[in-house]
Amino acid sequence: MVEIAAPVAIDAGTLSTKEVNELIRSRLQAGAAEICVANPNARHNLGVALLQPGRVRFLGSVGYYCGGLIDGTEIHVEGSAGWGLAESMNHGHVVVYEGAGNGAAAAIRGGTVVIHGDAAARLGVSMKGGLVLVGGDCGYMAGFMGQKGTLVVCGNTGHAFADSMYATTCYVGGAIGNLGTDAVVEPLSPEEAELLDRLLAQHLPPALRAQKPAGRDFTKVVAGRKLWNFDKHNWKDWQDAL
Amino acid sequence: MCGILGYFRKRAETDGQLGATMLSMLGALGRRGPDSAGVALVGPAHRAAYIVRVQAGDELEMSKQVIEANREAIQIFARALDGAYDVSCSGAYVRFVLAGDTDLPRLTSAIESLGEGIEVLSIGHAMELSKEVGSPHLLEGKHHISAFDGSHGIGHTRLCTESKVDLSHSQPFWGRGAADLAIVHNGHITNYHQMRRKYEQRGVRFVTENDSEVLAVYLAESLNKGATLRQGLDGVLRDMDGAFSCLAVTATEMGFVKDPYAFKPLVVAETDDFVAVATEEIAIRSAIPGDYKVAEAQVEEVRVWSR
Repeated sequence: MVEIAAPVAIDAGTLSTKEVNELIRSRLQAGAAEICVANPNARHNLGVALLQPGRVRFLGSVGYYCGGLIDGTEIHVEGSAGWGLAESMNHGHVVVYEGAGNGAAAAIRGGTVVIHGDAAARLGVSMKGGLVLVGGDCGYMAGFMGQKGTLVVCGNTGHAFADSMYATTCYVGGAIGNLGTDAVVEPLSPEEAELLDRLLAQHLPPALRAQKPAGRDFTKVVAGRKLWNFDKHNWKDWQDAL
Repeated sequence: MCGILGYFRKRAETDGQLGATMLSMLGALGRRGPDSAGVALVGPAHRAAYIVRVQAGDELEMSKQVIEANREAIQIFARALDGAYDVSCSGAYVRFVLAGDTDLPRLTSAIESLGEGIEVLSIGHAMELSKEVGSPHLLEGKHHISAFDGSHGIGHTRLCTESKVDLSHSQPFWGRGAADLAIVHNGHITNYHQMRRKYEQRGVRFVTENDSEVLAVYLAESLNKGATLRQGLDGVLRDMDGAFSCLAVTATEMGFVKDPYAFKPLVVAETDDFVAVATEEIAIRSAIPGDYKVAEAQVEEVRVWSR
């Protein structure tokens, strides 16, 4: 396959969502290294179910479900994103330059979701792998029922953080609104502090990285494993579980 | 589903674009709610007078003759009032201005007792409410909201998930009895029946079966007791259960309250010039050009802007 060197430009302003997605898909299949989509205008369902490598840049905000169900594609949203960003992504790399709406990175199986700004409620719920990295704050109930993977929030979290998790590992740079059921704070190892410094340097622009806490200042939150098996003596925990 | 939106100009001088901006935002949210569309717009205040907007009947449910008779009755009633002027008619709507102070609940029930199906849609010094069953396009066709000049307003497109589709059940709702207060709501108030029963035992009359109406009743009561809009919206968070994003306007303010679970979407854009709030970012981007940030509101967030 011959790689097309020049970036491909698509103007979403004059096309239907289906046409935009078909164009992106066909250009990626033809081996385009980079596709720029102008005028996304916060429309829903842009860049869903892309299965080829290559970079897609949305030059503005996108609506709901951008980057959902992708496998291997790199997506840059040069604005904000609506609900369900990169939902159920298998593998890939999704970056949002501003904030993201509810349910970002929900149920991802792998890949990386980076949000430079804030994430709203239900960030990374039920994630089954991958890395979620938020430069700002996150809302209510982030990490709920997370099964695997890593969730990094540089700022503060909302309430019910890391509720009812299986085995996602969370790191928080700011204040935790409050911990969800069975979420426990664990000491951070020097290796983990180093890993966090590496991840932040790798995924955030240097100016933004400079404003965030050092790796060693993050708080580690994991599942207390009390909800893994039902125990009638722990009835209170089960009652409080969301 | 439903779509709600609000637009608030921070600068005192108007740009003549309020109605057009609101219509464009409504249009973008039209597919979230094809059942009805409506706006509550705040214009220049008639300081010593009330603008009264009355619906003579529902064109989809009532005969033309009955609506015509109601319209006549309302106009005759209005003209006979001391200090009433500018009586006008458009479709099933009658509008007039009433100078001086008046007892709003008494005026409302006097008008509504003129005939079956008559409903006072809004009374205020500056706020006017228009709604229609159908699309925002239809609303514009009947009420020319794009020509309305003012400082702020809220709007709604409805996808009915409870009660019925008619003009009364459409939003915004006037805070009956409180001048210039209106609300729009996306969500479900799950303790609606308890709240409604409580109010009805105290003699409050509900005009619809729509759970959103209780928000208007609640805020009207709060404000009439002397609470600020912020205190009223804080109270909604305390006393209402369910999933809700609710926007409210008064003559000088616009505010929102979001439920504790973030079940319903609401995004906010704020610059030095304006505040725009909507169910989806697409509504703001398609109506307002320029470089600004849009962010999702957080759970239990209450915000109020005033001039």
